[in-house]
Amino acid sequence: MAQVGDSEVNVEAAVPGIARPSLHDLWERYRTYLLMVASLLVGFGIWHLLSTFVFNPFLIPPPLVVFKTAIPMLLSGEILADVTISLKRVLVGFVTGSFAAIVLGVLLGRIRLLHELFDPIIELLRYLSPTAMIPIAVIWFGIGEMSKYFLIFWGTFFIVLINTVAGVWRTPIGRQRAAECLGANPLQIFALVVIPSAVPYIVTGMRIAMASSFMSIIPAEILAADSGIGYLLQKSSMLMQTNRIFVALLTICIVGFLADRVFRILVDRTLARFTSLAALS
Amino acid sequence: MLQVTNVRKVYQSAQVSYVALDGINLQIDNGEFVCLLGPSGCGKSTLLNILAGFEGVNGGAVTSDGVAIRAAGRERVMLFQDAGSALFPWLTVEENVRFGLRVRNIPKASWPEVIDKYLVMVDLERHREKFPSQLSGGMRQRLQIARALAVEPAVLLMDEPFAALDALTRRRMHAVLLDIWQRTGKTIVFVTHDIAEAITLADRIAIMSVGPRSVISRIIAPDLARPRDLTDPKVARLFNDIEAQLAPDLARSEERALQQVPH
Repeated sequence: MAQVGDSEVNVEAAVPGIARPSLHDLWERYRTYLLMVASLLVGFGIWHLLSTFVFNPFLIPPPLVVFKTAIPMLLSGEILADVTISLKRVLVGFVTGSFAAIVLGVLLGRIRLLHELFDPIIELLRYLSPTAMIPIAVIWFGIGEMSKYFLIFWGTFFIVLINTVAGVWRTPIGRQRAAECLGANPLQIFALVVIPSAVPYIVTGMRIAMASSFMSIIPAEILAADSGIGYLLQKSSMLMQTNRIFVALLTICIVGFLADRVFRILVDRTLARFTSLAALS
Repeated sequence: MLQVTNVRKVYQSAQVSYVALDGINLQIDNGEFVCLLGPSGCGKSTLLNILAGFEGVNGGAVTSDGVAIRAAGRERVMLFQDAGSALFPWLTVEENVRFGLRVRNIPKASWPEVIDKYLVMVDLERHREKFPSQLSGGMRQRLQIARALAVEPAVLLMDEPFAALDALTRRRMHAVLLDIWQRTGKTIVFVTHDIAEAITLADRIAIMSVGPRSVISRIIAPDLARPRDLTDPKVARLFNDIEAQLAPDLARSEERALQQVPH
């Protein structure tokens, strides 16, 4: 590298692709984005054709109609208000559910007796989806915020719990023994080796749980709420406003997608040293 | 000094009990480099785990400087074949070495000096900010060595540490390890199934027979100056001698693997 100088310039001049980017280079550089835009455009195109020429436009409103409906809903703040309230429910349930699951999960993963005691119950209860719990949650907590918090908590808890236990179990035995040789006591092995080793599994569990929370909040709000995106869906359905239903559906897609991206960015900012190196373990 | 007397190790499951080791005797002096050599299934890693204190015995005695080994001890550190999983991947090179100092409550003031000393010894001081995933296989093993040396144990227990490395890197690691051994005077117990590796490294080679009921069938003390050149006729003769002895055991080892015997 040190004594290159001239020859490097010559190489650049000899290869036209570096001096003046060709169409091919642009394509190579931006292909992911270009194909993403193309994918969305084709999707909207097919949707438009189907709703205009194949299906009844009332049942499947074309994309332009949906966008036109969305604009006043966005400007009036109606959507923002519903998104905010739904997001808050998801966030409260997700954070408390994850926290409880991580605390219990690391204990179950470490203490065999505890696992053997709790596992049969968990294995049965985890088949009760948040949707299945809506009727009883309404009786227990009413249609206020608490019932939604509970339902999201319920859904998050089991997913994160199972992943946390798996992460604790899969801490390589060699790593624990290495720490033991270096002088770590059992508590230090647990806190400084096992829990960090489980972080990639915990984060994966939380990502899955977050996606599932966005799915569970909708039925919960449809059946037991007077606000939120699910309630918007329900209200629009009663009034046969298919265009508003589609606005709500599209909103769920976008909000869920953005929430996952934000979660990933937060993880990258705070836990990168634990997660990006997972390949090694 | 490590003393293994008449050790017996049995693995008990619901259906079968498997006698892995039966009557192992071995004495390892301070500063000695001993290789445990044998094909897979001979119980050499089991013996190493017993010396480390990870596994108990079902008969006989294992002592370190006269004290019975019941758990991991401050004077013995194990190095593993899979450095990727043995290292802490979320800690940098420097932080991996620091870990042992931290958990042993060694005064903070001495940390930088100790860390520098051993990172220099394994030639990793320029990579101290890197994470293990950014290192090559040989560098990871050198980091494992530095991390072990930093807590200043008397004994290094090495479980096929170079088996997963390419041949050139492995040769280089042999030179690195011999150099460190000569400079630090550690006692090293080194498990391998590679005859050439054992001859290159060891003061004494303990050959183990294939289980069940593995024993140390022979102990060889190569009276050869280091570095040992495998093309040297005396070294080659020793190699062939050991290979001939291992041949029948190797066949049995393969048969055993087919029978799925627990080990």
